[in-house]
Amino acid sequence: MPETLKLQINFSGGAELLFDKIKKHNIELPSVRKYLPDSKAEKWTIRELLVWIKGNLLKERPELFLQGDSVRPGILVLINDADWELFGELEYELQQNDNIMFISTLHGG
Amino acid sequence: MDLIELEKEVEELRRLLQKKENELCLLKQNLNIVSPVLDQNGSHSDTGVTGTETKGTLPKWAIERYSRQILVPEIGVKGQEKLMRGRVLIVGAGGLGCPAGVYLAGAGVGELGLVDYDAVDITNIHRQFLHGEKMQNISKADSAARSLRSINSRIKITAHNIQLSASNALEIASRYDVILDCSDNVPTRYLLNDVSVLTKIPLISGSALKMEGQLTIYGYREVDDKKKEPYTGPCYRCLFPSPPPPEAVGSCSANGVSGPVPGTIGCLQALEAIKLLVGRNRESLLVQRMLIFDGDDMTFRTVKLRSRNDRCAACSDNATLTELIDYEALCSMPANDKELDLHILPPEHRIGATELVQQMNKPGHLLVDVRSENEYQMCCIEGAVNYPIDKLEKMFEELMENISGASRVTFICRRGNDSQVAAKLAMEKIEKNREKIQDVEGGLHAWAKYIDRDFPVY
Ligand SMILES: [Zn+2]
Repeated sequence: MPETLKLQINFSGGAELLFDKIKKHNIELPSVRKYLPDSKAEKWTIRELLVWIKGNLLKERPELFLQGDSVRPGILVLINDADWELFGELEYELQQNDNIMFISTLHGG
Repeated sequence: MDLIELEKEVEELRRLLQKKENELCLLKQNLNIVSPVLDQNGSHSDTGVTGTETKGTLPKWAIERYSRQILVPEIGVKGQEKLMRGRVLIVGAGGLGCPAGVYLAGAGVGELGLVDYDAVDITNIHRQFLHGEKMQNISKADSAARSLRSINSRIKITAHNIQLSASNALEIASRYDVILDCSDNVPTRYLLNDVSVLTKIPLISGSALKMEGQLTIYGYREVDDKKKEPYTGPCYRCLFPSPPPPEAVGSCSANGVSGPVPGTIGCLQALEAIKLLVGRNRESLLVQRMLIFDGDDMTFRTVKLRSRNDRCAACSDNATLTELIDYEALCSMPANDKELDLHILPPEHRIGATELVQQMNKPGHLLVDVRSENEYQMCCIEGAVNYPIDKLEKMFEELMENISGASRVTFICRRGNDSQVAAKLAMEKIEKNREKIQDVEGGLHAWAKYIDRDFPVY
């Protein structure tokens, strides 16, 4: 069992503007117990990933990305190209090489 | 003078032509040439020629005209008949509605409705190709309808020159079989979703901004008499129960859009409408799936969506929605993509464009343009320095240093909203002489209107 968890994080639909305008991020998460020693979390789930993103990737205006402990309305989260709702949303346990995508819905035409 | 005379004459002729075209169109409709009525058995009553009976169900002109798509097995003769009986409502005659309309008119969809409250503006034409230069300030629905009639005079095209709202949407939508969401704002998207749910009409929803587009079908209902509860796809509210915060919503007028991006999505909306009308099944349609197009790295991704949410306020068995509501209130946004005039600064810190000219002539005046670098490069007032609003945080110290050395500081942007935000930040930071900071009400639009007529308005 490797110590770190490698993931690809994608932002699109304008969500990338809050992340230095970079759409693709290859990240490596340390052990969750090391990163969040005060939390009861044993494994990385989307819930802890959002905390990590806030602390490490999010450059500005967190309220345009997060609301409470989840993403703000209008952002669709995809786990390996499928709606996170199909996998338990915040509770989904991240796996090695997962692709997590945050898409801001577009309204223009 | 000759030029002006000639332009006037052309304009007159154009008006006359439009009048005659409308007359012709009406006449044809009354004579039943347009959109031959196919009855339940598929037989047709066409041009009134008696004594000849073709073996098939489609008239000669239709076979010839639509042969290339009839040859496609997924469409075929049966499909063509369905298309000719089909009625599609296109909401928004803009970047998505234009390409969608062209392909649906071309395919011979029996009836097209076009909804748009807006008039053609020069900034539309790079992507909204049903509108020509001469159609500026004319209703977009009329302009689009006219162009589509020139593509296919055999179909019925109705222009609805209105702002779709809770008071008129159900009545209009109920005359159609499919709705295309080609709109440009959040309230209209929620409105159309609820219309689709209440009327059980499927909604093909497209959207585009900058270099990206999205497409899916909401409220799809399988027709299956054998099943007790035929499949129903998710609706917009199943995915997005609450609207996004207004400050997170981009628009084509504020953020820009490359023409072929809505062009691509609009074409695909037409394709899904054609497939839906000819009866392709849900595995083939973009149901419970979303297409995500990134024109910058040229990727198309089709992602899997959730199924219908059994707690959805609109479409579930426990739905609380029974009628249309006030969607501008729901979303805290107007149902258009025009920008609002904000009032952030106190009035004594706001000046007009004329006053700016006077102040610019005084020594020590600093003019700060807070638009994006891109916009600043497009056009700017001579002598203005550029501190883009979204880079202000990084450049703030440098700006404050500049400000401390100036006798007076004026912030300016395109329309006078961001300039207030930036001026307020500077006022909060500065310890004394707050009164020397101000912004230009109406921004560069006011500058172009009152001072420099040659300054581009965009
Ligand atoms: Zn729903």
